[in-house]
Amino acid sequence: MIQLDVRNICKSFGGLQALRDVTFSVGGNELIGLIGPNGAGKTTLTNVLDGVHKPASGQVWFNAQRVDGLPPYEVARRGIGRTFQITRPFLRMTVLENMLVPALALHPAARKRDLRGRALEVLAFLTIERLADEYARSLSGGQQKLLELGRLLMLDSQLIILDEPFAGVHPKLRETISQFITTVNEQGKAFIIISHEMETIFTLSRRLLVLNWGQLIADGPPEVVRKDPAVIQAYLGAEEKVGPAAGRATHA
Amino acid sequence: MNPFLARRWMGTGLLIVLLLLSPLYLSQNAYRMSVVTGGFFYAILASSWVLLAGIAGQFSFAHMAIMGIGAYTSGLLGRDLGMSPLVGIVLGTLLAGVTGLLIGFLCLRLRRAYLALFTIAFSEILRLILLTEFQYTGGANGLRLAPLYRGITPVVGYYITLGLLLGTMSLMYWLTGSRFGLFMRAMREDQDAAAAMGVNVVRYKIMIFVFTSMIVGLAGATFYHQVGILTPNTMEVLQMSLVIAMAVIGGIESLLGAAVGALVSRIGLEMLREINILGLHIELGAWRYAAFGLILMITLRFAQNGLVYPLLNRLFPQQVRKPLTAKQSEKSGGSPS
Repeated sequence: MIQLDVRNICKSFGGLQALRDVTFSVGGNELIGLIGPNGAGKTTLTNVLDGVHKPASGQVWFNAQRVDGLPPYEVARRGIGRTFQITRPFLRMTVLENMLVPALALHPAARKRDLRGRALEVLAFLTIERLADEYARSLSGGQQKLLELGRLLMLDSQLIILDEPFAGVHPKLRETISQFITTVNEQGKAFIIISHEMETIFTLSRRLLVLNWGQLIADGPPEVVRKDPAVIQAYLGAEEKVGPAAGRATHA
Repeated sequence: MNPFLARRWMGTGLLIVLLLLSPLYLSQNAYRMSVVTGGFFYAILASSWVLLAGIAGQFSFAHMAIMGIGAYTSGLLGRDLGMSPLVGIVLGTLLAGVTGLLIGFLCLRLRRAYLALFTIAFSEILRLILLTEFQYTGGANGLRLAPLYRGITPVVGYYITLGLLLGTMSLMYWLTGSRFGLFMRAMREDQDAAAAMGVNVVRYKIMIFVFTSMIVGLAGATFYHQVGILTPNTMEVLQMSLVIAMAVIGGIESLLGAAVGALVSRIGLEMLREINILGLHIELGAWRYAAFGLILMITLRFAQNGLVYPLLNRLFPQQVRKPLTAKQSEKSGGSPS
């Protein structure tokens, strides 16, 4: 069970304040949705959490260890894994090699052949084991998203941050990815999922964080957040569009 | 053993035997001997550059300059302090490694064109220092280096350089097959994604600069003790471009392709000095480089995997690719996208 504490994080780029005093905690195997209009600071927050950006002020604690300011590889090895808004597999490497990179980074003493079995198991779980020897560039967009998820499982991330996992994927695969997330979550891993797919995120997550202009404007169960006037005004646009039937929200 | 792997080993074995027996023919002509020995030297430069740029994604132009550091260090230590070439080669190799370490540190945040420009600037500064400080370095007249040992013959020089090529190639192949090799390729593909997967990009980037710098430092110091003279012009960008062209023609992601490409290019360039067509004697001189440039342009346009690597792959395939591709599998009921 993990404990993430994000305390008063501020981050700016020149004159633009991307994050303002963001504070929240994640405990246990929570499944959290992070939503907000474009430019709200969602990806910046992800970059702060995984060490790409150092916050101007504030602290990030993960399992009682301070992790803000650590390089991304250190954060990854301590259990915070992330995917990118646009999938970034190692294109000119095979699917199996993609899977072995995080595993070998995490287990310096292990040999490739020892980790191969585990990699094939994870690929089988994700239903793409027959593609193990294919180059990642030959995979479809949806398969590449599954591969990214697989790499995080090989990294044994305890907190998995998924940036737009449902963007541009077929509805059937969206269901498949949701199912994988639920299964992995039930196995004890926490998730923070950034998404503009309102229907999916409202159904999947048990808690929602809403960012607007770098500020956390709501934090609570989806049914409460969807009725929050500040959220409706800042992000959801109109009250009648809120709810599972609303589909993709209109952005500010 | 996997039959494809066995075929590769057999092919490699045959190539090595051929190279080992070549002096039986080549030793009759000292010039041919020196051309092939020079080919081995360029093969080390090209294959190590492939490791740095083609496999690890660090597009450096400082390779020849670092080679020069190894060679000049050994030469100067021998001339001014009376050190034996063997000690000089060891110290030259170490100093080349230290230079690689510094470049690795300084270039941590530089990628692609910026890294290339930085290393071009480094090479030119070093070359100009060596040219200007002629009272210490010999300047444009060059630095005379003692032979590896008194009475060394071209045949021994051939075998020393061949041994160095085989040794460095073995080391580089071992490295690319290890976890280090996997991380290098991940870094080449996407440094940020590699870091997010737990790879210490900074450490591996510096390590690859140090490793390849030591290889070229060792090669430079050893080879120029055989040549006997070293000038700053060996470190100019044009020479570096020649090594890159050899690597590209061979195959920018293949160590063996680059090595064979360099050897063939070196021999080809020498053969093109003078050609006889239907009794007509033509001295190509500098025009042979134009012909070489043309081959490079054609390679870049039509065969981006190089000319040698696809040929080697056809002769010695790694494995039979599965006919099922990702997109085909989707059509036949795989994961939808």
